[in-house]
Amino acid sequence: MTEQQLMALLPFMVLAAASIVIILLIAFRQGHTVIQVTGFLLMCLVIFAMWYVRGVLPQTIAPLLIVDGFGALFTGLIVFCVLVVGLFSYIYFEEREENPREYYILIFLSTLGAAILTISRHFMSFFIGLELLSISLYALIAYLRTRNNAIEAGIKYLVLAALTSAFLLFGMALIYMETGSMDFAVIAQRLNAAGKSSALFLTGFGVMMVAVGFKLALVPFHLWAADVYQGAPSPVASFIATVSKVGVFAVFLRFCQELHLQNNSAVMMLISAVAILSMISGNILALRQQNLKRLLAYSSIAHFGYLLVAFLPGNNTGVEAAVFYLTAYAITILAAFGIIILLSPGEKDADSLSMYRGLFWDKPFMAIVLTVALLSLAGIPLTAGFIGKFYVLTAGVEQRAWLPVIVLVITSVIGLYYYLRIISTIFADSPVTIQKERSLNQFFYTASYAALVVLTLLLFGIGVMPAVIIQGIKQFLVIDR
Amino acid sequence: MHQTLSLIPALPLAGFLILSLLGRRLPNRLVALIGAGVISAAAIIAIWLGISFLQAPPDSGAYSVELWRWMSVANFNCSFSLHVDALSLVFVFVITFVGALIHIYSAGFMKHDRDYARFFASMNLFVCAMLLLVMADNLVLLYLGWEGVGLCSYLLIGFWYETTANVQAANKAFYITRVGDTAMAIGFFLLFRELGTLDIPAIQKLAPEHFTSGSPIITAIALLLLAGGMGKSAQVPLQTWLPDAMAGPSPVSALIHAATMVTAGVYLVARMHVLFQLSPLVMSITAVIGALTLFIAGCSAMVQTDIKRILAYSTISQVGYMFLALGVGAWSAGVFHFFTHAFFKALLFLAAGAVIESLHHEHGIFKMGGLKNKMPLVFYTFLAGAAALAALPLITAGFFSKDQVLWYALSANGGNPLLWIVALLGAFITAFYTTRLMLVVFWGTEKTHVGELPGRLMTLPLVILAILSICAGFIEWPHNMLHITLFSDLVQKVLPPVVEAEPVPSEALFQLIAVVATFSGVFVGYLLYRKNTSIIESWKQTPAMVWLRDFFYTGWKFDELYNILFVRPFVFITQLNKQDVIDKIYAGIVSLFQRLNGIFSVSQDGSVRTYVIGVLIGIIFILALQLIL
Amino acid sequence: MGTAQILFWSLTALALISAIMVLVSKNPVYSVLWLIVVFFAISGHYILLNAQFLAIVNLIVYAGAIMVLFLFVIMLMNLNTETEPQKSIWMKFFGVVAGGLLLSFFISFVISSADLKGKSAQLKEGEIGLIKTLGKALFNDYVIPFEIASILFLSAMVGAVVIGKKD
Repeated sequence: MTEQQLMALLPFMVLAAASIVIILLIAFRQGHTVIQVTGFLLMCLVIFAMWYVRGVLPQTIAPLLIVDGFGALFTGLIVFCVLVVGLFSYIYFEEREENPREYYILIFLSTLGAAILTISRHFMSFFIGLELLSISLYALIAYLRTRNNAIEAGIKYLVLAALTSAFLLFGMALIYMETGSMDFAVIAQRLNAAGKSSALFLTGFGVMMVAVGFKLALVPFHLWAADVYQGAPSPVASFIATVSKVGVFAVFLRFCQELHLQNNSAVMMLISAVAILSMISGNILALRQQNLKRLLAYSSIAHFGYLLVAFLPGNNTGVEAAVFYLTAYAITILAAFGIIILLSPGEKDADSLSMYRGLFWDKPFMAIVLTVALLSLAGIPLTAGFIGKFYVLTAGVEQRAWLPVIVLVITSVIGLYYYLRIISTIFADSPVTIQKERSLNQFFYTASYAALVVLTLLLFGIGVMPAVIIQGIKQFLVIDR
Repeated sequence: MHQTLSLIPALPLAGFLILSLLGRRLPNRLVALIGAGVISAAAIIAIWLGISFLQAPPDSGAYSVELWRWMSVANFNCSFSLHVDALSLVFVFVITFVGALIHIYSAGFMKHDRDYARFFASMNLFVCAMLLLVMADNLVLLYLGWEGVGLCSYLLIGFWYETTANVQAANKAFYITRVGDTAMAIGFFLLFRELGTLDIPAIQKLAPEHFTSGSPIITAIALLLLAGGMGKSAQVPLQTWLPDAMAGPSPVSALIHAATMVTAGVYLVARMHVLFQLSPLVMSITAVIGALTLFIAGCSAMVQTDIKRILAYSTISQVGYMFLALGVGAWSAGVFHFFTHAFFKALLFLAAGAVIESLHHEHGIFKMGGLKNKMPLVFYTFLAGAAALAALPLITAGFFSKDQVLWYALSANGGNPLLWIVALLGAFITAFYTTRLMLVVFWGTEKTHVGELPGRLMTLPLVILAILSICAGFIEWPHNMLHITLFSDLVQKVLPPVVEAEPVPSEALFQLIAVVATFSGVFVGYLLYRKNTSIIESWKQTPAMVWLRDFFYTGWKFDELYNILFVRPFVFITQLNKQDVIDKIYAGIVSLFQRLNGIFSVSQDGSVRTYVIGVLIGIIFILALQLIL
Repeated sequence: MGTAQILFWSLTALALISAIMVLVSKNPVYSVLWLIVVFFAISGHYILLNAQFLAIVNLIVYAGAIMVLFLFVIMLMNLNTETEPQKSIWMKFFGVVAGGLLLSFFISFVISSADLKGKSAQLKEGEIGLIKTLGKALFNDYVIPFEIASILFLSAMVGAVVIGKKD
């Protein structure tokens, strides 16, 4: 391994070292605050490392990894999400009076897993990254053991993730059997040389889709989503919704790009079927949901259905659209979960819709942030969500994927119903006041509020001036070509 | 340069934001300072911009600056730019300058109102929207400004919302202009379908190549755009909202319903002149509508008793002149009449507001009288405005612009003697009702006690506007008198010059006829309302005259006509549809999805076993799909 | 048919039969024992492929450690036929149909890919499974995933501590 390769891996090494630092801090009996602050600084250090190594990219670390613009883009998104989740976590766990310290180790470890996914170009790193992500998540989901649903959600996730990982391995084995390689590029070569794609490859890909579909909560592998979102602590749920999905999507996108699967009609048919099913089921399931966390889970199912539409074209527009959409979605969902976290009283999460009745009259700031987030999820113009959806539509239309595009439009309208339902609840009169005393240091509240303000401004900023972000995405994507 | 250009609409917007967010907490003095200050600053920038434009015109003939590129995806491009050429410059100048004067006036006029900040916030928003309308370089932004001014107009007509009648007037204005707006939007859609762009410069470039002159599609587009302009500019048959709109405070009437917003239609037609020129039929329709409007509204103005309603009808009538000018192809004459009209009509409204305020909110002119000596300053300024409205020759701005309109109504390519005769009749009527108004309000005996006289904040704008009402015309003289054509030189950088049909003999003769008409109008007014009032008394006995007066008074019964034509059938239909049959479809869709929701929810039973089966079904589904393919 | 082939077929038969027995045994302890037999059969296959190291590791880790853990858990929970939750007949039917379909799909796909025919595993020839080759591969080419795998264990450990510790 050359010096440059080592350097390119610096952010990931910092990420790995961060978890060790936290373990040491725990060993030296440091408090939650110290750990939180250190964790925050370490994340900043990761960002700094990414900035520091930007010159040596792209860098291939044969045979498993490639650190390029694509990977840096997704890693950046992941680190950003973790930064925000970490900030919100402090208040959440501090108020629950359980020992929150190991939480940060697990967060860092699973972040590392997701980050490895974004730079992997080989089945082996794909699998290891995925497992690193999942195994940390099992514990994270069940972190608040005394809660009713936590252990249940953790076990459900464990059983299903293990099952789908098995399928993933099986699919990889089938593809290996066909092509004799686990390297994306070599697989692509061999497939090209063979001319048409064989049944064995298709089967392998289909079986791999089970695991990918599971992690992205795509229909019909979505059943866990609502239970896990509901049972997991809110920061963890937001972590699953953003970091985990971004990582898995990144590796999936890279795999399909590398293999030029957009030219493979059978695969495209499969993906569009999954997309259509996800859009329909996700939106319909959310229609009458009374639990905000479950509702966000269903909405995420639909959103990843939309994302697959952007994914269908497979050309540059598609990749841009997908990255843009993910960015907008991550920011939005973080803002929404941020509100849930800040509103949650100690004993349980603020997930029942009835707790939000008349929120505007009680806590106007939170109500406005949540409203903006919901509007963005619904794709109302001038929010980031609208631009994302528009971008996705354009990509879909360009490829003349009419059926998914039409389903996207129709289901978006259905989606509007339940987002607006929440908004109307927020602005209803006869408010329910959520009693919650602020026992903690004012600084952390201020920081969380500031984060929410930044997220909201970003939502508007991206909605009003998307060109800046799109330009940035394009610049990053050029690095690997 | 570019940055200052965007400052012009940005300043009023900033004023609006500050006042609407913090207005209630600020002291009135500061509110007025912000409200009037931002507009004044915008006016100063606009004047400076105008001067530099005149000194060194930009190469492209326009200043433009891209404000905001929203997105540019594939071949879809959505960006907003400001584009100020000579035509826009005239409008920007009038909007900011007259707007600033009216804001200053309002600072005194509204001082006892408890919603001081709300008033200024709405006014600032209005100015911002109006500026966007005239500075927009594409029709989408123009439409945004268009709807923005509509909204502000609605808010300000209903400013004193405790009175039901005011709210109804606001609603009426909103509904009726909506008819025009809808037509206009459809026109835009058609235009987009045909040309694939809504950029104004692009339209001007593409339209002549794309459309053949007089083809049905261009006629339809031009007609729809015209309908939009007619709604906003209160032209027959969409004029009925404007008299009622006088329910708003007087500065609102002056700014929105006299000087600026109602002329948005004029701006639209002038801006889209390329399209209108391609359709001679629509040009003629524009001219005829203008002529009809000026006559119908003029007749109504003759018999009104509410001082503001007289001015409202007079505004409709004067805007009719502008449409007439545009319709005959005398583009610059129409815009020139807008220019002078803005000054004298704003002046008249402000002066009327001062009168009303001093007479304890008395609107009826027959309850006024004898104010000549009680309120000398208001009297003299009002006189200047009235003289300009009546178009007294050579000493008023109104004369120069109206003379042009009259002359071109006859001589221009699209003109014809009938139009000229109607316009002449209109001039007579205008002179008549102006004289009537002056005589009844300012002469005679005092009927209501004069209260507090207007303060300096209110009189200063009156004086400035009075000076402009007299002098603003001197920048453009009739051809046969002096060769000063500053105004048409400026706007003809954008608008095509008028095409005269064939040399009509002796422009002077027709000018003389027009002058005679004006003076005879003044004379008749003097005869009836000063010299020999018994004639009117005798008319009150004649049933035919009473009916005619009533007919005019109610604005030619248009409201009743619409009541029969639209309101009643609509009420009838809604009664038929009490059960809301159409809603059943939507209810059906809703219950369908609710049922689907129920079915889908069954899968979420919380049991891992079910979920595993779900995964298995999924993989079977995927494999089966591939087996089929 | 040489010795190797006879061994291969008998080991295969053993593996399949014991796998079926894992499923059909009513008593969980029997299932686990059958599973151990499966692992032994698989390890036999490894040896046939000249991968002695993998064979041993397979035995130590799976048959040794994991299965003992399984047995402990089952015995501690005292599972027997009576406590087994009753599954509805539909569920069973559904499971059978789903599983059967899945199996038939896989078989049909594998069979339909033509170039598999005539290919056979190279017995006693490969060197991948030897400890020397494995060590070289792990510490040269695959050193990064090896490190990541260690982090994976760390995360599993922390997770177990978090869930399992007493307050």
